[in-house]
Amino acid sequence: MSATSTAAALNGSASLLFSTLMADDKKSLALGLRRRDPELLEGLIEQYQYRLFRYLLYITGNRERAEDFFQETWIRVLERGHQYDGKSKFEAWLFSIARHLVIDWQRQKKAQSLDALTNPDEGAPMEFADDDPSPLHLVLTHESEEAVQAVLGKLPAIYREVLLLRFQEELGLVEIATVLSAPVSTVKSRLYRGLEDLRALLAGEAV
Amino acid sequence: MSQEFHVRAERLIAQERVEGISTADQQWLRQHLAECASCAARADATEQAIRSLRGLSVALPPALASRTQFRVRMRAQQLRGEPRWRMVWAACGISWAFGAATAPYVWRGLEWIGHRMGLPNIVWELGFGFWWALPAAVVAVILLMENAGRSGESVWKRQEN
Repeated sequence: MSATSTAAALNGSASLLFSTLMADDKKSLALGLRRRDPELLEGLIEQYQYRLFRYLLYITGNRERAEDFFQETWIRVLERGHQYDGKSKFEAWLFSIARHLVIDWQRQKKAQSLDALTNPDEGAPMEFADDDPSPLHLVLTHESEEAVQAVLGKLPAIYREVLLLRFQEELGLVEIATVLSAPVSTVKSRLYRGLEDLRALLAGEAV
Repeated sequence: MSQEFHVRAERLIAQERVEGISTADQQWLRQHLAECASCAARADATEQAIRSLRGLSVALPPALASRTQFRVRMRAQQLRGEPRWRMVWAACGISWAFGAATAPYVWRGLEWIGHRMGLPNIVWELGFGFWWALPAAVVAVILLMENAGRSGESVWKRQEN
């Protein structure tokens, strides 16, 4: 056997072992959630606090609300832990719980939704003054983060959400579709549109 | 250069980042970008947009995790204290079925005991009624005790807060 094929075989068995370990992890996670294991939950809260809070912050656009939803999401995880099947990624399940809470809240309010996660045509994006310097200029003058935040605020939430799930959370298209309870084709079209709008806004173009 | 090439390049630039493209498309795109400055600029801008997105950070509210952990712990305690409704319903169902199946024998048995002891009919008939209602009464007492326990716990929680 050549060195290359040996390396490939080793690589293959390593990835098989890795995926088996991952599957075992998910299964034990599902078991722990079913048992409502307090230590497991506390560990998960620690582990996912940043990612979940960031996601909630970007879909609600409000820190206090994101904080409330953060806590409610974990209460839901505790109560409905038995619904996690141990096959899909835990974070996809976690985000879908958080998302449903936000949507329920929007429906209860019955006001103009924050950015209408449920309906692409609705939703007023967060506004900022038109006479701000061009976002590209801000990027170049080391204020990129504020500029990107502001640009992101201009995007409707449905695009912002998929962009964050894809490029920050690194979720796959199928996983995003699970979070959104939407077809993969919808996810793709939102990603294309969102990415194009983001690029154009950062370049100071009108969208 | 044909406009079609630019359109294809634009599509592939986005597609590469969203869902990936084939090796052949990748090669074609690299070649096109090397020759076309405007498409190359577009690809750079798209890459920059994604990089900016990935570079975003948010500040976590202080003690968010510990506050959440506390709430989750409290809720877990509450859940543990809640009666197991399935068990309660199963017990009710079984006792009802058992009661219905044995009712004629119990009736005759109590009648026989009542006559042997010289009791008035109303006494052993009441006894039968009591026997019939006993399981429901036991469940009611259990639930009342559960509720009393929980309200005591919430008073304790309020005092603690």
